[in-house]
Amino acid sequence: MARTLTDEQGVKRYLVNLKVNGDNHTVMVKGNSLLVNVLRDELDLTGTKKGCELGDCGSCTVLLDGKPVNSCLVLAVEAEGREITTIEGVAQNDKLDKLQESFVNNAAIQCGYCTPGMVLSAKALLTRNPHPTETEVREAISGNLCRCTGYVNIVKAVMAAAEQE
Amino acid sequence: MSQEYAVIGKSVPRKDGWDKVTGKAKYTGDLKFPNMLVGKILTSPHAHARILSIDTSEAEKLPGVKAVITHEDVPSLKYGISPARWDENIFCIDKVRFVGDKVAAVAALDEETVYKALKLIKVEYETLPAVFDPFEAMREDAPLVQEEYPRNINTEIHQNFGDVDKAMAEAYYVRTDRFKGQRTYQSPIEPHSAISIWDKDKLTIYSSTQSPHYFQYYIAREFGLPMGNVRVLKTHIGGGFGGKLEPTGLEFAGAVLSKLTGRPVRMFYDREDMFAHNRGRHAQFMELTTGVDKDGKILAVHANFVMDGGAYTSLGVASAYYAGALLTIPYEFDNYKFDMYRVNTNLPACGAQRGHGHPQPRFAFESHLDNIAKELGIDPVEIRLRNARKSNTTTPNEFKVETCALTEALEKARDLSGWREKKGKLPSGRGIGIGVGSFVSGAGYPIYRTDLPQASAVIKVNEDGSEATLYSGSVDIGQGSDTVLCQMAAEAMGYVYEKMRIVSADTELAPHDFGAYASRQTLMSGAAVKQAGEEIKTQLLAIAAPALGVRAEELDCREGIIFVKANPEINRTFGEAAREFFVKKGPLVGRGVYHVPKLGGKFKGAAVGTSPAYSFAAQVAEVEIDEETGEVKIAEVWDVHDCGKVINPALLHAQVHGAFYMGMGESVWEQVLFDAKGKIINANLAEYRLPTALDMPRLHSDLVDTVEPNGPWGVKEVGEGATTPVMGCISNAITDAIGVRIDSLPLSYEKVWRASKERKRNTSGE
Amino acid sequence: MYLPDFEYYQPNSLAEACRLMAKFGPRARILAGGTDLLHKMKHGQLEPEVIVSLNGLERLREITYQKGVGVVIGARATHNDIAGSALLQEKYRSVCEAAHHMANNQIRNVGTLGGNIVNAVPSADLPPILIALGASVKLAGSQGRRVLPLEEFFTGVHSSVIEPDEILTEVIIPDQPSTGSTYIRFGLRRSGALAVVGAAVAVTMEGETCREARIALGAAAPVPMRARQAEAVLKNQVITPDLLEEAGVCAARECSPRSSIRGSEEYRRDLVRVLTRRALQKAIKEGHV
Repeated sequence: MARTLTDEQGVKRYLVNLKVNGDNHTVMVKGNSLLVNVLRDELDLTGTKKGCELGDCGSCTVLLDGKPVNSCLVLAVEAEGREITTIEGVAQNDKLDKLQESFVNNAAIQCGYCTPGMVLSAKALLTRNPHPTETEVREAISGNLCRCTGYVNIVKAVMAAAEQE
Repeated sequence: MSQEYAVIGKSVPRKDGWDKVTGKAKYTGDLKFPNMLVGKILTSPHAHARILSIDTSEAEKLPGVKAVITHEDVPSLKYGISPARWDENIFCIDKVRFVGDKVAAVAALDEETVYKALKLIKVEYETLPAVFDPFEAMREDAPLVQEEYPRNINTEIHQNFGDVDKAMAEAYYVRTDRFKGQRTYQSPIEPHSAISIWDKDKLTIYSSTQSPHYFQYYIAREFGLPMGNVRVLKTHIGGGFGGKLEPTGLEFAGAVLSKLTGRPVRMFYDREDMFAHNRGRHAQFMELTTGVDKDGKILAVHANFVMDGGAYTSLGVASAYYAGALLTIPYEFDNYKFDMYRVNTNLPACGAQRGHGHPQPRFAFESHLDNIAKELGIDPVEIRLRNARKSNTTTPNEFKVETCALTEALEKARDLSGWREKKGKLPSGRGIGIGVGSFVSGAGYPIYRTDLPQASAVIKVNEDGSEATLYSGSVDIGQGSDTVLCQMAAEAMGYVYEKMRIVSADTELAPHDFGAYASRQTLMSGAAVKQAGEEIKTQLLAIAAPALGVRAEELDCREGIIFVKANPEINRTFGEAAREFFVKKGPLVGRGVYHVPKLGGKFKGAAVGTSPAYSFAAQVAEVEIDEETGEVKIAEVWDVHDCGKVINPALLHAQVHGAFYMGMGESVWEQVLFDAKGKIINANLAEYRLPTALDMPRLHSDLVDTVEPNGPWGVKEVGEGATTPVMGCISNAITDAIGVRIDSLPLSYEKVWRASKERKRNTSGE
Repeated sequence: MYLPDFEYYQPNSLAEACRLMAKFGPRARILAGGTDLLHKMKHGQLEPEVIVSLNGLERLREITYQKGVGVVIGARATHNDIAGSALLQEKYRSVCEAAHHMANNQIRNVGTLGGNIVNAVPSADLPPILIALGASVKLAGSQGRRVLPLEEFFTGVHSSVIEPDEILTEVIIPDQPSTGSTYIRFGLRRSGALAVVGAAVAVTMEGETCREARIALGAAAPVPMRARQAEAVLKNQVITPDLLEEAGVCAARECSPRSSIRGSEEYRRDLVRVLTRRALQKAIKEGHV
């Protein structure tokens, strides 16, 4: 359990270690601080988007120990000790992951606001299941809403990335 | 033919792809400025109420709160789309008109404090009788939403072309059908936000906007500033679909909060605010009467419509005109009458959503036409072929259509979908339907009255010739205009796409353009870009000629190589010549401007629906219905488009996918719902159901070729036109499957269940 | 949106968690996955002063088989833990499928079995199938532990027999005589949609004869309900299509759905008929639990 400190207004603050994309960060958060806000506001990892704040759209998807979750419904204090992957952690040394490359090459991006969450949901799927069926791909991204693409090219991109395995 | 063009016609990857796929792309709400505050608007909990008092003192005392403002702190000048209908204030002064109307705003150190401060603002209201139904609102005794519109009629249209009465009297068959549309919402995934920075006499606003220019115009006007003192720009934008076309309270309130505090202020909507602000699709009540001859040839149409406009005009006066204007485009007929009342109610204002005003009337007409075809025993594809518009024709409301390949599109959609093998032969619970659509490739007149050109562009080649930058006021809201315009620039210059950079959607750095609406940019912005590119090429060939020992006219430039047309072996590079130009003559700059030629008739409202070119589409859908539960599965869809020359095929088909997706959602799944007091009860993405990846059908997007003389390289639009046929197409497919027509949108599972049940009851009773 | 302020505790033992809950009483709330709790708090529907997180209690995530007891699922098991559990796949595939088809993947990775039950909403997907399988719940409180049938747990929308100091720790599915079970949900889109109606059945077949059927319905009444009259229609009867339809009609008659944004009372009732019949057909045909 995190160490605490009470501020002048009597609000308790928690010292939390967050391991994000392999980097360790120590941050002070309030009990009610949400992971999405800490990532965006404290760590400037704004690739994690806010869309609905209620777990309906998937824009704020991050991987927690490899599994996609909505970071708008996760308390920052509860993320301590977990491996957090955000979209910024997917490309390595400025080299796109094959899934990201596939999104670019298959015109799977339009406004791009859902893209980080989509990529992470798909990434988790391909890690678990390198050769998914189209239905499995659709299931894996069905918690990520996209208003631009009708998902057509997103599904195509994920399937194409899987074929390269 | 494939060698005709070097850059356009190819599916090059998007300019912003890398940034968007890595999370580097910054949207407005991602930006941070030193000392920045966060702000939010307090909205009305009542649909109609007088404001008696506002007490902000408790909110001001909350630690972290830096400013609280109400109508007393902001200009009282009203705004809206046209001077006759400027009816919206930054904050309500005497009364609120819908649940969500703007009342006050707070700026504080963080979001949490902002929310807490909003709760501490005490507003005393006296509730007033409210009206939510447009037909009730038109009654003499109905409460007035806006004092200046008697019987709440915000816009009234009566147009009459040809001799409708005579044609109806002579018709073999005259049919009237009534249909209802629903309120839908654009639901971009990115919530609106705006960062205002008022620094001395300069106001800079980063906004999630589809039209920085339109925002700049109204913001400058509100604050009495010269337009040059207001800079509006965007970074990346997470979708608009019409919902980010007009300034919200975020820009106005943020500007005042920034001025008061001397700090940048980031204003934001959350998802519930977005629904409340709305400006989504109007619900239309559509009565259509059509007279046909015995072959199903349309002789006359009367469209008699009412639309629920909500509390303000927003862009709705245009929506109202569009609703009827575009009904004349896909099919040829000479006699047309259009009556429309846009009515104010105490609900959120409606505005422009993909296909602006047209998708619901198109749903109605496509359904109506199928009813007529059935009555006459004509195949639905056949009746459309008999009526399909041809190239070089003029509509009864005086729109000139130079290219139209609707006939070819219908035939191709019919053949690709296997229509002949399926229609009337599918097993129980399955159905097939067809719909057509069309749309303007840019509105013929600007969004507000002005003599400014529609679009302009500047291209500057780097001093060493290694890159070039396109400056364009156009707005990439995700559709890919930055990419397409760079392709067009490179083609016109004889340059390469990869070396093109773009600065767009910034009223200070980029030259004027009206932005992303009415499907205008590929044609209009593209025309300006083409001209700018050609100007570069002309200058470059002139400077390059002496060294190659020929006259400039003997040269051409393609993919960065300047060569002698008669002997391409003699050549030099674009970059080298560009550098020479800079050394000798200074910056190598090309300029382009696009004015729409004078279009349309002289009657009232003649401007709306004019366009240099029109797209056309035929769409076939196959559906599977679970008649016991009413569940609708869209199984497979074929869209065939006539959209002129294609600049980037991958992006074009992606537009069709997205446009279909939105139309599909509106067909069956999406509807904004209200409680009895006018509050939205599904202002979230759980109960406002955008279809998920699991709901999407197999979707085939195909093309028929046209080259539009009024568009650069022959282009026309695609992004909105592809939404227009969807609802009619799905309606016709569902009708084919269950044997009965549902006349109101959305064609929800429960409605399908009910209709199937009633049909069974009726057939078993016979 | 924002979460109201609260004090956060993350006890290391169940005993400590119970002690905290006893101490703070109704001012405190248990946080398991948070997908329902945080949702309600963001809407201002709940403003607990204290949050007691079960995050430190890893053992509550276990899914085990205990001889003589049955399958024991820890209350903190997520929906995806359940959907992917090899033990449950082998013994109660119907439970895995029910977990797999609810909400969306992100929610299933976080939302828990305990939360799905304690939240006590009529449309919850797991209670019907668990009730059909005769499951019990174990509640731990400062005064000790008690086990009761899940069917008796719910008392109304958002209310149950759980005391403020109690924590739901596990769900027990007893060994079955059932030969087949299934859960069918009907939602208004294929992902991320609450059940308009859900029907779960567990049947014990002997050849063509149904010895016993247990039918539990979701979103058909204020609480997950047994359709006992429909069950009676089937008991010791030779199964025919007409009999299954009759059971469906019976279930539709005895349920008491309400009209809501997702469906009218009339629509829901008819869906109960259809889904009950289809669930029975499926459970009988597939022949596994």
